[in-house]
Amino acid sequence: MNTTVMTRTVAATLVALAISFGASTQALAHKVVAGAYASGDHIEGEIGFSDGSVAKNQPVDVLAEDGSKIGETKTGEDGTFTFKPTKPIVHIFHADMGGGHIANIRIEVADLPVDLAAAGAAGGGAAVGGGAAPAAAADATTAAASAATAVALSDAQKTLLLQAVSNEIKPLRKEIIALKEKDDLQSILGGIGYIAGLFGLWFYVSARRSQSKQTATMAQPSVSAQRTPKTA
Amino acid sequence: MHIVDGALTLPVIAVGSAITVAGIGLGLRQMPPEKIPAAGVLSATFFCASLVHMSIGPSSVHLIVNGLCGIVLGWAAFPALFVALLLQAIFFGFGGLTVIGVNTANIAVPAVIVYYLCRRGVVRSSPQVAAIWGAVGGALAIALTTGCVALALSFSGDEFIPAAKLVFFAHIPVMAIEAVLTAAAVYLIRRVKPELLDAFSAASPDLQPVLAAAPEASLRSTQS
Repeated sequence: MNTTVMTRTVAATLVALAISFGASTQALAHKVVAGAYASGDHIEGEIGFSDGSVAKNQPVDVLAEDGSKIGETKTGEDGTFTFKPTKPIVHIFHADMGGGHIANIRIEVADLPVDLAAAGAAGGGAAVGGGAAPAAAADATTAAASAATAVALSDAQKTLLLQAVSNEIKPLRKEIIALKEKDDLQSILGGIGYIAGLFGLWFYVSARRSQSKQTATMAQPSVSAQRTPKTA
Repeated sequence: MHIVDGALTLPVIAVGSAITVAGIGLGLRQMPPEKIPAAGVLSATFFCASLVHMSIGPSSVHLIVNGLCGIVLGWAAFPALFVALLLQAIFFGFGGLTVIGVNTANIAVPAVIVYYLCRRGVVRSSPQVAAIWGAVGGALAIALTTGCVALALSFSGDEFIPAAKLVFFAHIPVMAIEAVLTAAAVYLIRRVKPELLDAFSAASPDLQPVLAAAPEASLRSTQS
């Protein structure tokens, strides 16, 4: 009788698996993996899930630091999106994939494409430099110098250079993201260790409490009155 | 199954946290000391089981084993699952610290419901029938969890029906696997170590009056 039950359960499992193949349409991995970086004169980003699947055709809102909307973009079939920033401010890319999955990517001014970052640094330097702070002034000079170097190259050369660098870095970037997402054995063992420790502590505390109660009930009233402050 | 930071509105987080705090309080108070190691083991089981991902079609889901937690631990499932979720949030970034109350409630409330619905069947009947009760409990806990997740999301802006459908269908394989797993575990416990379930029923609140009638039992209940 038991074997028929087992066979039936296994059959039910297989049927359920078959149904689920067709049923679910969206990735339900519980962690969203997203990153964005400057590439040439625009920002390139990627949104996906920790199991390696990507968010396809996902609308992405581009927000300023105060939450106001600067613009919007959309991921392609490979889960990547591009956005051309026009202002030297902090950009926040926000995507809501439903089912409790939200991606927020923050791009600081310094991480914007070279020209804008330089403009932002120069602008910031000038604003602070009103008080003639030497550090800020130096910052502005460096930024201006780097901007000047960038201009010294022809635009075509610059584009090629940036493209080459970004292509070179891409696999590294992917590897780092993958590495960050890896649940390594050490963390798992560490977690189990924490659990054992916490429950052991709890066990200890509750054992102590029951023991002190036991001595309190068994001892003479006068003795227990003396002991109460110590055991409580 | 783990909702992330920023996906829920403040009232939902507040309600979820309140339920979790109450549940942990009850779990800690009702827990007899001899049940604590079992709670630790089940907490670790949940911690590891959630790391086992199954890629099914385009989606990826993981085991939860909250049904088994509920059957064995009752209200103590709250502290056990909370600890595991806390460590997952810290170590792996699953879920988040602000929504941990909601995530705990989503998983532990079904565990407690399963405890009340399936316990009697698991403890009282023959091991074979107990295994079937275990299967029902295992699947039911997942189904209820998907409902809770969808509910939490719907109060935060998502439409309830599509959200519920989405989460529910993705977890059908998990329900099936957990049904088999919980049935096997219950069958094994009943065959090999039935006192794991009996010892706990002795301390369960619905049997307290019976225990209080016997003098030595009342002494034991004051100790715990």
